[in-house]
Amino acid sequence: MLLAGGTMLVMAIVAGYTLGWANKVFHVAVDPRIEAINAALPGANCGGCGCVGCMSYAEAVAGGKIAPDKCTVGGSSCAQAIAKIMGVDLKPSWPYRPVVHCRAHYAERLGRADYRGEKTCTGANLVGGVQGCTYGCLGFGDCVAACNYDAIHVVDGLATVDYDKCIGCGACEKACPRHIISMTPFKSQRIIAVGCSNQDMGKDVKAVCKIGCVGCMACSKASPIFKMTEGKIPRINYDEYDPENMDATLLAVKKCPVKNLIYVGKPSPEHVEAVKDQEKPKIVQVDFKTTVDQAEWRG
Amino acid sequence: MPNPVQVAIPLLQHTGAPCEPLVKVKDEVTLGQKIGEGKGFITAPVHASVAGAVGMPSVTTLPNGRHVKTIPIKTGPNQLSADELKASLLGGDWPVSGLDAQSPEQIAQTAREAGLVGLGGAAFPTHVKLTRNEKRPVDTLLLNGCECEPYLTSDYRLMIEFPRPIVTGALLAARATGATQLVIAVEDNKPAAVESLRRAAEGTGVEVRVMETRYPMGGERQVIPAALDREVPTGGLPLDVGVVVMNVGTSAALAAAVLRGKTLTHRVVSVTGAGIAQPKNVLAPIGSSYKDLIDFCGGLKPDAARVIAGGPMMGFALNDLNITVTKGTSGITVLTHDDLKAVEETACVRCGRCVDVCPLNLVPTRLALASRYQDWDMARRYHLMACCECGCCAYVCPAAIPLVQLMRMGKAQLPKE
Repeated sequence: MLLAGGTMLVMAIVAGYTLGWANKVFHVAVDPRIEAINAALPGANCGGCGCVGCMSYAEAVAGGKIAPDKCTVGGSSCAQAIAKIMGVDLKPSWPYRPVVHCRAHYAERLGRADYRGEKTCTGANLVGGVQGCTYGCLGFGDCVAACNYDAIHVVDGLATVDYDKCIGCGACEKACPRHIISMTPFKSQRIIAVGCSNQDMGKDVKAVCKIGCVGCMACSKASPIFKMTEGKIPRINYDEYDPENMDATLLAVKKCPVKNLIYVGKPSPEHVEAVKDQEKPKIVQVDFKTTVDQAEWRG
Repeated sequence: MPNPVQVAIPLLQHTGAPCEPLVKVKDEVTLGQKIGEGKGFITAPVHASVAGAVGMPSVTTLPNGRHVKTIPIKTGPNQLSADELKASLLGGDWPVSGLDAQSPEQIAQTAREAGLVGLGGAAFPTHVKLTRNEKRPVDTLLLNGCECEPYLTSDYRLMIEFPRPIVTGALLAARATGATQLVIAVEDNKPAAVESLRRAAEGTGVEVRVMETRYPMGGERQVIPAALDREVPTGGLPLDVGVVVMNVGTSAALAAAVLRGKTLTHRVVSVTGAGIAQPKNVLAPIGSSYKDLIDFCGGLKPDAARVIAGGPMMGFALNDLNITVTKGTSGITVLTHDDLKAVEETACVRCGRCVDVCPLNLVPTRLALASRYQDWDMARRYHLMACCECGCCAYVCPAAIPLVQLMRMGKAQLPKE
């Protein structure tokens, strides 16, 4: 009894000292900021920042390899928190949200082939002529499959972003095989965007789409923020886009013969006010709590 | 075929870098004049296929739906007639000896200047194949006369009517590559072509070997083991086993380029299928539209249902006849309603028929699944990139799974290692 107890005691002391010694000698210095940054991040592991997950982003920020404001899920408050941990001043940046540069639903665009192949955009994009326009939205929903936040849906053949749910991770931009989704800085709740990607001549566009951009250059004449690209489609220079000073931009919107410069984003309060009499669609809230534990049946 | 009113020469007709235009709007060009030149080694220049005036550069659609820049040329009044053209490109007498006057480098350089690309369909620049590589010596030149795609007969007609330029081109290519063994492989369903080639090749050391008729014998990875009993490793090139493979049409074009200074401006196109009024093989100017060719062959029949660029196995179904003939266009197939069947896709029943028929011994069902669910590790493990998209698997699949499309999708998306 005494022998057994004594042996255990001696072993405990020896093992305790060994562990204590090993802890000091083999200590790996971990930057405490990594843990702190990881705690400040939302933990969505969406990959929107370009890193594998939140932890790897935290490591990259602590290592100075990436800016602290790249987490789109966390937004500006998260960026501020990380900047405080890192001890840097953060310049205010705009939230980036996807914009689908196409606004043609089934009714407006020319569908062509009786397509029986793989029902994905990537598959349909390999086969010429599923629809007339070779630039626009195919509507098979590769972006919908890529979205982790249920924030983009195909509505009547056109990918449509739900800006209430979107957190701007950029997964849809990467998924689109036609590259018609671009991440755009939202300087206000709603911004003006170009709703077409067709780079063909006006006549060819008209042949395949009722509402496509014909490249008339009216917008670029009205406002300098519209720059015509080589492909005869205007691109908005969002560096010069100023939501406070919209006169020239709105003139361009008015001049556009096919009304292709559209507002995207969340509606402004005035806009909501204008339609307040109309009945709102009923929104079903998704409840993520599982009900399995309360169920009596345990099949 | 008479010259169309206007041709549109795409600046990218080959595998490799696109060309930059060398001519301006309203320039007068002559037949065979170089109008576009690319940068880099793997590229081929493009040439005017009619004499006339250059129009505004525009965009045209290729069969796969891609848009490329083109240079339109309005056909001028002074043109060679179709018969004169045929005689100048392919007819007449072709020497089989005394070809040593050309150095191997000269031959490869001429092939480049003439814009020669593989006329079998992949349109890989020929001069790349003909340039000698000290590290990988070539001992055998294999001329591919296996036209395995159903319906297409353009190489077949060429082999029957003009075997002599084919043989001469083979001798020139052998001189360029340093190959000592020369073999022409022809399938056993083309006895007339075998006969004609054997007569033309008499006394030249070119051997004509007869292959079993089996799709896809025309693929180089299939024809090399069959004709030479050598296996090309997966991910390797025919060069790894000392072989250069050329299409018979390319060989004839090489002879015309080296001995007559002709650039690649015309090619033989099969306009065929049950839905065409008068199926023909046409010597068409590159840059003419499919519509020109179909009109020349009497137009479409009323029951024509589907127009395919290429053959029925590997071709692309078209929705527009305003598509340009390029250097890689081997045929236009028009199918009728009777030829087509619409089957809805169902679940894979794991019958393994696709595995049995795959000429490359791949497992299409696994590959298709990997591609559909973007499992790139699995796709690599099962060698997705080795797939030649021949279409055998999709043809036999009882569940009508679009296997080839899934392969193409996977190959387009597979991340670089």
